[in-house]
Amino acid sequence: MSAGERTQHILDEAEAASWIEDGMAVAVGEPAPMALLRHIIRRKVSHLTVVASGLALDLLIAAGCVAKAISYYAGGGFGVAVAPSFRRAVERGQVETWECEEGILTAGLRAAAQALPFLPWRGGVGTSLPEVNPDLKVITDPIQGETLLAVPAIKPDVTLLHAATSDPYGNVQHFGGPGWLDLFLYRAAERTIVQVEKIIANEDVRSNPWATTIAAADGVVRMPYGAHPFYSRGYYITDSAFLKTYVRAATTAAQDDPAALQHFLSYYCREPGTHGDYLERIGIKRLLSLYEY
Amino acid sequence: MTTQNGCTAQEIMAVFLARELQDGELLQVGVAMPVAEAAVRLAHSLHGPNMELIFLGTRLNVAHLDSLPMPAFGWDRRVVRWAESYSDTGHRFDRLKDWHKRVFFIGGVQVDPHGNTNLIGVGSEYTQLRFRGPGSVGTPTLSSHVGRYYIVLNSHTARTFVERCDYISTVGWGSGGADARKKLGLPGGGPKYCITPLCVMDFTEDEKRMRLRSLHPGVSVKQVEAHTGFPLVIPERVPTTALPTAEELHILRSRVDRAGVLRRERG
Repeated sequence: MSAGERTQHILDEAEAASWIEDGMAVAVGEPAPMALLRHIIRRKVSHLTVVASGLALDLLIAAGCVAKAISYYAGGGFGVAVAPSFRRAVERGQVETWECEEGILTAGLRAAAQALPFLPWRGGVGTSLPEVNPDLKVITDPIQGETLLAVPAIKPDVTLLHAATSDPYGNVQHFGGPGWLDLFLYRAAERTIVQVEKIIANEDVRSNPWATTIAAADGVVRMPYGAHPFYSRGYYITDSAFLKTYVRAATTAAQDDPAALQHFLSYYCREPGTHGDYLERIGIKRLLSLYEY
Repeated sequence: MTTQNGCTAQEIMAVFLARELQDGELLQVGVAMPVAEAAVRLAHSLHGPNMELIFLGTRLNVAHLDSLPMPAFGWDRRVVRWAESYSDTGHRFDRLKDWHKRVFFIGGVQVDPHGNTNLIGVGSEYTQLRFRGPGSVGTPTLSSHVGRYYIVLNSHTARTFVERCDYISTVGWGSGGADARKKLGLPGGGPKYCITPLCVMDFTEDEKRMRLRSLHPGVSVKQVEAHTGFPLVIPERVPTTALPTAEELHILRSRVDRAGVLRRERG
């Protein structure tokens, strides 16, 4: 008698996108899973609490998806010190910020992963962070009496990541190491979706299980070139010219001229119904020009 | 600003910093710090075959290469391929106890007389900032633990050097005094120098208040005071910051900063 078929974790784009609902806490890895983020924008998901940074955070804010940003860094690059949409929205009080930094963020994610209410952290003691973020409590440690911060558990409902490959069962293998906070975000989250350049056979995973960085992601989506305009190690490099175009559009929008940004959002995020449609708009020549390491 | 021997203020800053760095040290540089990035690469080339450079999660030693082929900053394959190890495998911040061996560099939207710095923003109301900064990145944790760090700024204005930071994201010498960090329980050594396109500043031994240490060529004490929003401690004699030697400048331009990032005018 057969025990039945093992369940595959492969989602199609629409299924993956449907996991994200208004008001959820969504964590975004690095490199950002841009194809999934574009689906969030296209579906007009709103009031999200996002754990994100840089221009991926900025794009979600520009598209009106974000109510609250948990971010250690919202730099812009390409000539701007601060991500323009983030800066404008926060200055106008349209997006709430949960002030933190990398050590504090990872302490909170680790607390969630370890089913703890909080973890202590030193970085931030003596700064304004606990004043502007009252969730960070200044405590006296019960062992040595030191002053530390208690960082509450940060629990994403869904973590969205980009990686090189996965088998159909969600055994994910990054190429050249997992992204910036990817494993912290994965371990802390209720569920994780990983978009990958390629789905590989389970036998390929078994031939090199040490390379598996995430065991049993809840969902995997096949998204070749899915991190564009960011990089994907082993596949393509950052499309700096494209990011400059975005930064320019977001910068003029922050100066009350939203036409270029609205065009960018429509043309690249809202109009393409699928990732394939998006890639057609980017064009094969441009994509191939990034195909190096 | 270009000096008589044709180098820019940013190049003077990078060379000054490079001379500060010792062989065998771990040098960590974050984003948007072109002077610091050039300085560690220059030091690595000139006198640091055992230095370890940490750019984001990438730890590398590339002293053997004729030129240091890293792009200005990024984390795609063009940088990562030079790594000997990464700190991104889920264990970042797990060896803080050894960070006294690390040297770090930070910038700031505001800096106060005790070297406390602000990357959060400017404005009295946190929920309605006049200027929202990029955020603290990892500077609170790094500055709490590293052996020493340098405050490196791309401009020197009275808007940046303020009597009080609106928000403090990184504690330098707190409210002052040689024991300020000890009282807060911060194990790291704190800021050593503050380096700007005009001058180098250090901190007085007892009060830990910012003091002018040297002026870049062609800069006057008056000029620095006019661009600093608090009274600096001015010693009786203020030397001129040593210019790069011909060899340092050659290596900087031919092996490190081939794109001329430090030679561009900054606004």
